[in-house]
Order: sequence, then C-alpha cells, then structure tokens
Amino acid sequence: MFFEKPKNGILSWIRPLIRLSFLAAGQHVPVLRIAAVVAILAAAGCGGPTADGDKTKRESAAGHRPRVVATTTVVADLVRQVAGDRVEVDCLMAPGIDPHSYKATPRDAERLLDADLVVASGLHLEGRLATLLERLADRVAVLTVADRLPPDRILEAAGGIPDPHVWFDAGLWSLLPAEVATALSEIDPAGAETYAARAESYAARLREADAEARTRLATIPAGRRVLVTAHDAFRYFGRAYGIEVVGVQGTSTASEAGLGDINRLVELVVSRGIPAVFVETSVADRNVAAIIEGAAARGHAVSLGGRLYSDSLGLPESDGGTLEAALDANIETIVAALTDAEAAP
Amino acid sequence: MTLATFGQPAVVATAGFGLTHNTLVVLGGVAAVGCGAGVVGSLTLLRKRPLVGDAAAHATLVGVAGAFLATGRRDLPTLLAGAVVSAVAGLLILVLLRRFTRTREDAATAIVIGVSFGLGLALLGGITARGMPGGGGLERFLLGQTAALTARDAALLAVISLLAIVLVMAVRKELLLVAFDPAFAAATGWPVGLLDAGLMVLIAVMVVIGLPAAGAVLVTALVVIPPVAARQWTDRAGSMLVLAGLFGLTAAVAGVAVSGLRSGLATGPLVVLAAAAICLASVVIAPRRGWLARQFQSRIPAGDDQP
Repeated sequence: MFFEKPKNGILSWIRPLIRLSFLAAGQHVPVLRIAAVVAILAAAGCGGPTADGDKTKRESAAGHRPRVVATTTVVADLVRQVAGDRVEVDCLMAPGIDPHSYKATPRDAERLLDADLVVASGLHLEGRLATLLERLADRVAVLTVADRLPPDRILEAAGGIPDPHVWFDAGLWSLLPAEVATALSEIDPAGAETYAARAESYAARLREADAEARTRLATIPAGRRVLVTAHDAFRYFGRAYGIEVVGVQGTSTASEAGLGDINRLVELVVSRGIPAVFVETSVADRNVAAIIEGAAARGHAVSLGGRLYSDSLGLPESDGGTLEAALDANIETIVAALTDAEAAP
Repeated sequence: MTLATFGQPAVVATAGFGLTHNTLVVLGGVAAVGCGAGVVGSLTLLRKRPLVGDAAAHATLVGVAGAFLATGRRDLPTLLAGAVVSAVAGLLILVLLRRFTRTREDAATAIVIGVSFGLGLALLGGITARGMPGGGGLERFLLGQTAALTARDAALLAVISLLAIVLVMAVRKELLLVAFDPAFAAATGWPVGLLDAGLMVLIAVMVVIGLPAAGAVLVTALVVIPPVAARQWTDRAGSMLVLAGLFGLTAAVAGVAVSGLRSGLATGPLVVLAAAAICLASVVIAPRRGWLARQFQSRIPAGDDQP
C-alpha cells in the first residue's frame, strides 16, 4: 500500500527497506527494523541480492534534472520559488500534515537517499525525522534552512529549545532564498546565474510582503491584537508584526493540553475581551472548541476566527498553496476576525 | 509553559480552583467513565480475563482510522462508532482464536493486541502519508485529549457509562455466576456463551467510551486498576462492583482536580496515576487482605480467595 509497484523485480522495493535498516539503526522504529530483516531474509531466499539495480537507476537518471527532496511544504515552496523548473522538487510531507509527528516510511528513505540535495526546515520541527536527517548528512547534501538564519533572531520556546516556526516572518524568511540558490548551484553549477537571479527577485517579493503584512495588521485595534491558536506556531509572526501570540499547546504538538491550560485560556479570552480564536489546518481543533464553549458559559461570545495555515501549506490549488499566498490568507483571516467582531466590548 | 506568550506577557488571572465550565464538563464526563469502567472491569477481572479490556483498547485504533477513511469526518460520535465496531471485532477474533486453535487465552490476547495495534498504526501512518485533509490529530486517540471534552462529548460519555452500569446491575447475578463457575452455570441451563458475549461487548463499549478520556493506551488502566483495588477490601462480589465504581469515580475526580490546578498538567495520565495511588493504598491498608493487616494477623487461611 505504501510501496511503489516493483519496477525491476523484487529488489527495487526491498532495497529501500535494507537501506532504511541502516539509517534506522539506533532509532526507535522496531517495526521498520523487523520489516528490513524480513526483507533481507526474503531476498536471500530469492537467490540473494545483485548489484545491478542501483547502477541502471543512476545511469538512467543521468541527464535528468537534479532532484531536490524537501521535508515540509514550506521549504518545498522555498526551493520551487528559487529553482523554478530547473530542478524536480519532491516534498515528503503532503499538505495538511503535522511535521512534528511525521514519521518516515521506507519509501521516504528511498526518496531521501536518491536525492541530489535534501532541504529541511530544522530546529527540531521535523521531530521524528531529525535522527534520520542527521545520518543522511554523510551520504547526501543536506541544507537545513533554519540553521542559516542569524542565531540572534531565533526565538526560544519554553525550556530553552529554539522555536522552529520561522517562516511567517517574511522579512526573516527573505534571508533564505540566497542560501538555497548557493546550495542549488553546488549540485547544478550551470544554473547558478538563474538561481541567483530568481532568489533575488523572490527575496524582494518577500520583503514587500513583509511591509504589506505590517501595514495590514496594524489596522487591527491595538487592544485586540491577540492571536489565540491551537499551538505556538506564530511567535515569529507575532514578533515581526506586533501581535501577542498565545497557543493552547506548546511549541510542539506532541504535548497534551491539561485542564489547567484550557481554564487559563478561557480566563484570558474572557478577561481581555478577545473576539476570536483560531484553528490550524494541520492540528486537531478540539482544544479550541473547548475554549469557545468555556468562554460562552461565562457569557463571552468568542467566534472561531477561521483556519490558519501554520506548519503546512495548503493544496497547490488552494488559497495557501505557496508561502506568500498562505501568509496573505492568514492575514486576511486574522484581520477580518479581530476587527469586524463588534460583539466584544 | 504551554501558555507561552510573546512580547508583553498576557496577564492571566489565576483560575485557581474555581469550578469553571470546562472543569465541570471534564469532571462529569471522566467521573462517569471512571465509574462505569470500574464496574464493568470488575466483572472481567472476576471472569479472570482482565486483559480483554486491553485487547479491545488496542483494537479501537483500527476503527478510529477506518471510520475517518470511510466517512472523511472526525467528530467524536463517528470515530467512536468505528472504534466500537473494531473493538468488538477484535474480541470476536480473540474468542475464535481461543476456541478453534490451540492457543492459550493469554497468547491469543497478545496476538490481538499486537496485530490490531500494528494495523491501527499502519492505517494512521497511511492517512498521514497520503495527506488527507483533516487527518492530523487522529493519533491523539493514542493518548487521549481529556481536557478538550465539550459538553456534548461529556454528555455522550456520561449517558453511555450510566447505561452500562444499569445494565450490569440488572443482570449482575447471572454475570457473576458465569464468572465464578461457568461449568455449573452451563449445566443449570444458563446461556453462558451469550452472557460472555454480552460482557465482551460491554467491555468493548466501556473501553471505547474511555478513549476520549484517557486514550487507547491508558484506558486499560481504568478498567483494571479500580477493580483490583476494590478486591482488596471485600470478598463479596456485589460490594466489589460498587467499590470499584466508587474508586474509578474518585480517581477521575482527583485526577481532573489536580490537572486543573495549574497549566502543563495533562489530565488523562493524572487520572490513571490517581487510580494507581488508590490501588497502592488499598493493597497496603485494606483490612484482612492488606499488607499491614497481614503483618498483624500472621495467620491467614489459604484459599481465602473464594468470596
């Protein structure tokens, strides 16, 4: 179900399993390890592995466009904006997927190992891929974009861990196209000029979007510039555009919110007269529903402000298919919900 | 800590121990589930099948994922309906394994737990890999999201828990007879198979109802721990049912109360820890069977287990 149809016999799907077994060694993925062992045993029963499969693949790949594998939809968009059609961009996580809890499949290991360049977001956003990516760095070129940002602009989350949600600060994100262009030029020197030019124009667009975001969000009455969301994904956004940000869950979606967290947020929403709270496209919304109900019981109507793109962009044809579009859609949702609601005192 | 703010820190009046709407809702829902799980769990413990609840709990994941795949919805009633179906199916497989293969009860249970949990995780992984919109958050059923119960969710949990309790109380004589002496019950004409099947369905329903309160991994604790604690205090089955229900209820109330004290305390695990504390206390201080009592009256007749 998760495997491709065999192209050249049984080996083509056993190989990724074997490869993953090396990468996964030391990780807590016993199921995968068992699968790898089973696969190796099966291969032995079929007469043992031969070495030609890999070679044909490499040869047939020669002359093709370079393959870049991106982990999240956000970095995939970054690469596409800089590379245009010169490279083939493959994104591991589909739209709507929560990167914090994403687990690699054997197929993913194959995609990663066959890449000319892997681009990751970093700062532990891809919590469960992190070890795999580290091991991968010995075999494939890996660009972890958040590591290229100036360290003094990285926010710290609770417990001193860096906050990985850097992308909705368009000004900060505009530093990255140049980094991607450099990395792409290394795997495809012929395209260096194209990459540099595209990176420059994309960075300029991001700086424009940054200025525009600041103006639009400033139209929200000062007392209402509070963004309550399912998890802490908007702290960079908040810092950049002067909005106070409160998340029900912490920086990662892995923690469970306790009753105390819900109670405090209800108290905050009621006492500050916050008109709307928001859900995210990639995170379960039950906590937010509980807050709305709790506030209603205290006689304070909070509306569901809408769905924000946070850790994942939308489908290509949606209003959040690219980072620029998603930022635009988010700002529109936030401004509308926090400005229009006249019910609040 | 989960309430992280940026810039001017949000001034939050400490909710303290006030009974907010959310606290009451969660309290009501979880207390009912704790009580129901204690009562139904007592019967499976007496029937010497305490792990049946565990098998049902692990089988629910398949149903949660399946219900989402089939309907594309992720509201609580839909997902729980799917969970009931797969939990009952898991238990049916357990019974068939035991009856038609030479598999021991514990081995059969282990097979059902492992296979169904693996299948459930594979389905959840498949949903993740394919990027179905709204698929995010289904894995929350592994550990539950107690604090996020809404009034409608809690009402659903309470009604079904109460129904389960009433049902058990109505046919408790028959169920207990089957639990203690199935051979005698069969000889005297009781429909042992039917009663057993009924008990299985009941435990499946109870476990599913416990999912939103504790999640698939912890719900087993609610079905097993309160009955074990209750068993320490009494040799009479009727009193044990009542006590187990009370212990489950107390654990739920204590866990919810503690997690409401401050932020950063996940509710589900605290309920289970409270149940464990009650059990530990019972094992130590219960009259006659407790550890302390045995230190003082060194002579306890063997075979005291028969109530």
